[in-house]
Amino acid sequence: MNQPHNDKQDDIQIDVCGLEPPEPLERVLEGLTRLAAGQRLRVLIPREPHPLYSILERNGYLHETTCREDYLYEILIWQKAGA
Amino acid sequence: MQRVLSFEQTPPLSVPLRFFLSAPLFATVAALVLLWHGPDALASRWTPVTLALTHLLTLGFLSMCMIGALLQILPVVAGIDIPHSRRTAAIAHALLVVGTLVLATAFLLASPLLFRLALPLLLLAFAWLFGAGLRGVWRTAHSTAMLSAIRFALAALIVTVVLGAVAASGFAWPLSLPLMQITDLHASWGLLGWTGLLVAGVAYQVVPMFQVTPVYPQRVQRWFAGTTFLLLTALTSASLLAVQRPWQLALAALIACVYGLFGGITLYLLAKRKRPKADPTTLFWRTSLGSLLAGIVLWIAGSLFPAVGEAPAYPILLGILFIVGFAYSVINGMLYKIVPFLIWYHLQNILSGGVTKAPNVKQILPDADAEKQFRIHLFALFALLGSTLAPEWLPRLAALVFGYSSVSLWLNLLKASRVYRRMAVPPDTASDALQRPS
Repeated sequence: MNQPHNDKQDDIQIDVCGLEPPEPLERVLEGLTRLAAGQRLRVLIPREPHPLYSILERNGYLHETTCREDYLYEILIWQKAGA
Repeated sequence: MQRVLSFEQTPPLSVPLRFFLSAPLFATVAALVLLWHGPDALASRWTPVTLALTHLLTLGFLSMCMIGALLQILPVVAGIDIPHSRRTAAIAHALLVVGTLVLATAFLLASPLLFRLALPLLLLAFAWLFGAGLRGVWRTAHSTAMLSAIRFALAALIVTVVLGAVAASGFAWPLSLPLMQITDLHASWGLLGWTGLLVAGVAYQVVPMFQVTPVYPQRVQRWFAGTTFLLLTALTSASLLAVQRPWQLALAALIACVYGLFGGITLYLLAKRKRPKADPTTLFWRTSLGSLLAGIVLWIAGSLFPAVGEAPAYPILLGILFIVGFAYSVINGMLYKIVPFLIWYHLQNILSGGVTKAPNVKQILPDADAEKQFRIHLFALFALLGSTLAPEWLPRLAALVFGYSSVSLWLNLLKASRVYRRMAVPPDTASDALQRPS
């Protein structure tokens, strides 16, 4: 997967644990509008955000999902090259 | 690490919405039947009117919403493909609507001919649902506690449908069948299997998600559905083999314990929610779980004290507590989360390809409207329970209030749907999504 080679500290981090749907999705969409070129959005969420994926796909974003040991999910989102 | 792209499968809004918008209308028809027949409707669980009312509520409201919800959540949560979802939903919905109305009329008129008509309609509805719509549930490798509970709930639905079909055959043709025993088993599988297991399975996800509570203990998620299904199977075998009553009671007591545990844990989780103010769905959840626990206490009293268990009001009270108090309340409450969320989600996708903000869920369905309907529903529930104790004059009042509550729910959902129609750009999509129930 062609991830931009940037450092973790350049990522925008959002923790949406404890928010009621659709607020987590709204926060992520708002976060996407703040992404600079090559920058990534790192989202911490208590469940896999399935509805988000099709929105990302439609808008030219790629993502990687990791389930952490504490059962929280980390979603890394970045813009597809040329999108 | 994984990449999931299954959400192209998100079904169109019309798929769940046609079920959700039809359900309150069946509850309204049930209220009208109760208004018309008054005290006769609650005299015994075996009267034709009571059986008609029960099926208007269980098939027309509960199952209608549960099937609509399944067709929505299975693709979204478990990545299960519902082939030709629009057509599958339309056919299953039409058969279920007509089949339920014919069945209720068959009970009311005691018409063997109508039973013969209702049987193929409903069997076809469920066969179509399982064959065309839900095949993927058994095939997918995806495995979560929720999906496992859904599988057990659907297996219980199959048992319920088969037992119901056998019982209906006894009304349709002059067959010699142990109808009371079959009906008891049919009701147990329908309420404690299909309804209870699906509510619990969905609760694992929606209670922590929408009520912002801690998650259910892993052990409860893992064992609840399988244990309940096993106990129901053992109870059915004991009944069919005419095992001594104390053993059957012991099995039923274990099922009551398992449900008591589910009710207690869910109430505990709701008490731990991170937002201090209860929203309308929280109020519906509390009412639902309170009714469940009250039903369990009543069942224990009925089992221990013959004076309670043999009272004519006892089975009706149990039925109202489980069907209206527990199941109807929780589904009513969940509709207030699911419908605005779906409308918001579809609008979000339509408006500028997903990056323009859709209206807030609270604007799509205001809390004040839902809370007002909750108060009417609570009043209706108490009036219905009171009707069994004061059958001369309360049933008609209960019918009026329950009808008012159902119509209010329908109007609230319709208003939310209109937000979608107003904002969704392609008019043909909107009209399709808002297709009125047949």
